[in-house]
Amino acid sequence: MSEPKPTDSDRVLIIPCSGIGKAFGSVGREAAYLVLEELRPNDTGTVCLSLLTMGDEESQQRVREQRTIAIDGCPKACARVNIEHAGAEPAAIFRVFDVFRAHKELRVQQVSDIGENGREMARILAEEVAVKVDELRGGKE
Amino acid sequence: MEAEYLHATVDKFVFKVKTGCWYSKAGLWVRLEHGLARVGISDYVQQSSGDVAFAEIASTGTKLEQEGYLGQIETIKVAIELLSPVSGTVQEVNEELETSPELINQDPYGQGWLALIALSDWEGERASLLEAEQYLAVMRSQAEEAAKRI
Amino acid sequence: MPDLPEKRVGLIACSGEDLPVGTVSRMAVLQVLERLRPQDTVTLCLPLFLAGEERERAFARFYPTIAIDGCSKRCAARATEHYSARPAASLVIDDFIAEKGLPEPHGLRQLDAAGQAVTQAVAQELAHEVDRLLGKKRPTVVEVEAQAPDAEGEPEGMVVATCSCGSGIPVAQLQVNGRRVEILALPAILDQFREMGKPVNDATAGELMDAVKLYNHLPNEEEAGLREAVLSEYTRYIAAFDPASATS
Repeated sequence: MSEPKPTDSDRVLIIPCSGIGKAFGSVGREAAYLVLEELRPNDTGTVCLSLLTMGDEESQQRVREQRTIAIDGCPKACARVNIEHAGAEPAAIFRVFDVFRAHKELRVQQVSDIGENGREMARILAEEVAVKVDELRGGKE
Repeated sequence: MEAEYLHATVDKFVFKVKTGCWYSKAGLWVRLEHGLARVGISDYVQQSSGDVAFAEIASTGTKLEQEGYLGQIETIKVAIELLSPVSGTVQEVNEELETSPELINQDPYGQGWLALIALSDWEGERASLLEAEQYLAVMRSQAEEAAKRI
Repeated sequence: MPDLPEKRVGLIACSGEDLPVGTVSRMAVLQVLERLRPQDTVTLCLPLFLAGEERERAFARFYPTIAIDGCSKRCAARATEHYSARPAASLVIDDFIAEKGLPEPHGLRQLDAAGQAVTQAVAQELAHEVDRLLGKKRPTVVEVEAQAPDAEGEPEGMVVATCSCGSGIPVAQLQVNGRRVEILALPAILDQFREMGKPVNDATAGELMDAVKLYNHLPNEEEAGLREAVLSEYTRYIAAFDPASATS
């Protein structure tokens, strides 16, 4: 007998920062999409960060009711701060920077094209996020 | 009343130069505190280098020469060797930078300091350093030159 | 808005993570920033309006700003107006697609061919809007090709290492009537006045205050003290470059 599919409200919300000014913002976004589309498509969802900034009620309610993972590209930590401002506390916070500190050979130059190094960094980060998603969902497939 | 910072606007960037400090042409600042010299990098150097990921500074007890090796910062894009603006002996290194290197970017003249140095020849070396207003002009030229290369 | 040096147009993209048009907004703005109009534009991460400081929220008061939204929720336009200032122009990609008869984009992480085509079209539209806001003529085809960056990659230097956001709005702190007051845009204003060769005198103090008031809300009771502090700061500022010019 197969496991029941998670309802929308069971999904863990992966929320990357916008990071349009920094290459690590693009890496974080890439990592988020890897989790959402490849690694854990049935267990995760997302919310536009700009909706939280705008104070959209429906989006704020979702982050309060569902578990969230913030992925931030720089110390300004927009994803974390905007989630907190919505009245929620992220279940986990990932910083692209920490992946770089563990893999400093992976230098990324451009925002619009993160290149092989950026994609590798995103994959490493995505796998860490996927492990956390499993942990939050209690190890369910 | 003296303002805390001087500013230079180049391209879309604004660079702050803290008054009351001396500077090397390479952009390291020196601030005297009870006979010791606290050193760090200028706002221009941190902005043009990018987000700092690692800061390796000469350890406590190391004897430094002016323009000799002080340490290195590694950002997400480049690695930069830092040359000491003064001669002396390292008394203290900013240990916060081990876990929070971003302090160098966030507060280059304050919490992002690099080392505290017991000076060996301040009177002899001070003349070779720039005061804030002088560094502002030098830094501005450096920034304008860099902007032309884009 | 005064004609400050290095005048640029601000671009704020919604970067919506949950819709393909959000990815289009982001990629189109990046094209303009990096390739089409790199010397004329600057950006800011939209969420910084909430997560950042006053210097971030001053963005659209300082730069004439175009808000680029993916969908009708118009987060970029509404957030810019709410936190900063009304955008000088606005584009909603869903509306643009309908108006131009373009194909619907698909893909979040990687846009499909339709998404890339829409991105190109939006980027060109934005570039023309930037030109309009700066009062520039549209470049010819030859000029566009000449502007194309080296395909080998980005040059070394300031832009490579630093954020496309620039430094944020320059801010200065002055002592006014015994307390520290933050004045937005003052460093850039002082820089401009110095380059214009404005002497240190009462007339310049008045002009400085006019410029300061464009970016800062000042209570009436602060004005006299601030005028004195601003002129004093200007005196000190130009003395740093040319001591002789600091005397009126």
